[in-house]
Amino acid sequence: MQENPDNTTHFGFKTVEEDKKVELVADVFHSVAAKYDIMNDVLSMGIHRIWKRFTIDCSGVRQGQKVLDLAGGTGDLTAKFSRIVGTKGEVVLADINDSMLKVGRTKLRDMGIEGNVSYVQANAEELPFPDNHFDLITIAFGLRNVTDKDKALASIYRVLKPGGRLLVLEFSKPVYTPVEKFYDFYSFNILPKLGKLIANDSESYQYLAESIRMHPDQDTLKEMMNNVGFEGTEYFNLSAGIVALHRGYKY
Amino acid sequence: MPLTNLLCGLLETGVNQLHQLDSSAVSKRKQLNGTIIAASLKELKLPLYFIISEQQVDVLNKFEGEPDCTIKVSFQALNKLQDNRQLTQLIKSGELEVDGDIQLVQQFAMLLTDMQIDWEEHLSQKVGDVIAHKFFQHAKKAVQTTQTQYKRIEKQSSLYLTEEVKVAPSALEVAYFSDQVSRLESDTEQLLNKINNKLEKQLNDLSQSKVLADKK
Repeated sequence: MQENPDNTTHFGFKTVEEDKKVELVADVFHSVAAKYDIMNDVLSMGIHRIWKRFTIDCSGVRQGQKVLDLAGGTGDLTAKFSRIVGTKGEVVLADINDSMLKVGRTKLRDMGIEGNVSYVQANAEELPFPDNHFDLITIAFGLRNVTDKDKALASIYRVLKPGGRLLVLEFSKPVYTPVEKFYDFYSFNILPKLGKLIANDSESYQYLAESIRMHPDQDTLKEMMNNVGFEGTEYFNLSAGIVALHRGYKY
Repeated sequence: MPLTNLLCGLLETGVNQLHQLDSSAVSKRKQLNGTIIAASLKELKLPLYFIISEQQVDVLNKFEGEPDCTIKVSFQALNKLQDNRQLTQLIKSGELEVDGDIQLVQQFAMLLTDMQIDWEEHLSQKVGDVIAHKFFQHAKKAVQTTQTQYKRIEKQSSLYLTEEVKVAPSALEVAYFSDQVSRLESDTEQLLNKINNKLEKQLNDLSQSKVLADKK
């Protein structure tokens, strides 16, 4: 559904050739990696921390489990998971972008998190892990940058253990019209300016706002997850649907 | 529930910030490394899961695994938790319910409540030794002065009420009054006994004279 017949896909509001999108997204994240955390706090007014907390509450993760934090970026979720699964568990922080991965690795090591965390540069569409390997896979604010989302979901389904779950935390469609109006104004007028002011990079944040609009809404994503085989799929709207957390199980 | 998430977040940040200042926190966390403790207040139906690792304490409000220890405690009993001798008493009185290792409870209570923070030292790193010392000297003095002032005001106002405007009795007056009342009570009792005795006597006399009259 994301692809047109002539092998093009969207990059924000622009249409680009499929094999170019990876590079373009990579450019965006190479340029924001250094200030990623501070920008997250400023742009979401700190609320992203609560979204991530909610995600962890829904994860049901326990000691000794294997977790894959896909598109884990600077490792906010990885840090928590690493402490929860303990020494017997294992957390893999995977990101397609090596700048983000490096920032994440430096940050986690500075926090003293080591031993049960490994770092893998991987494409979500073709995950380099064996079948039925992970108890939990999370992808927070990453799915929207993946070129072929169905392929990525199928790949995630493959490496997930039976009984495991997938959590997708992603921007979505606000459920109330006034919220949507304000949100549109915020993301197209204020957000790129803030990006310019803090990270000196308005294009990347313009892309962020556009890519959010192009991302499938709650029910579409739920349907996509069902199509690749996930069961018991449900979603929770957070902050009036600005962000939604989708949860699906593999049985 | 985003609101409880917010609460957990604030609690977690608060505890960890304080731990940053407390030099003994690291060794305490090392002892408990990897322990998961479920704690809830009896008054609130909100279980909190404390995941303790060497780096920090994480607070979750949902956890599907098996915690090492489950604690239910009432609000008033919270600060009694760190006292070893009171623990058994608390359990007996039902203010504290523990499921798991009781030693963990003590260590956990110590971790959260017994923080040795040298505020003066931390302030001195920000503003310099002299100012920090002066500040704490003045603060201590201010606390002392307020305490003595408070005691003086308490004493003076009680004197004003009892001696000047006489709206309330003094302690001696109260004692004297209650003495009077009890004396009155005992007097009344004596009087009552006397009357009873008299009445009984008269009744007896009356019945005897009746018997005599009947015989005649």
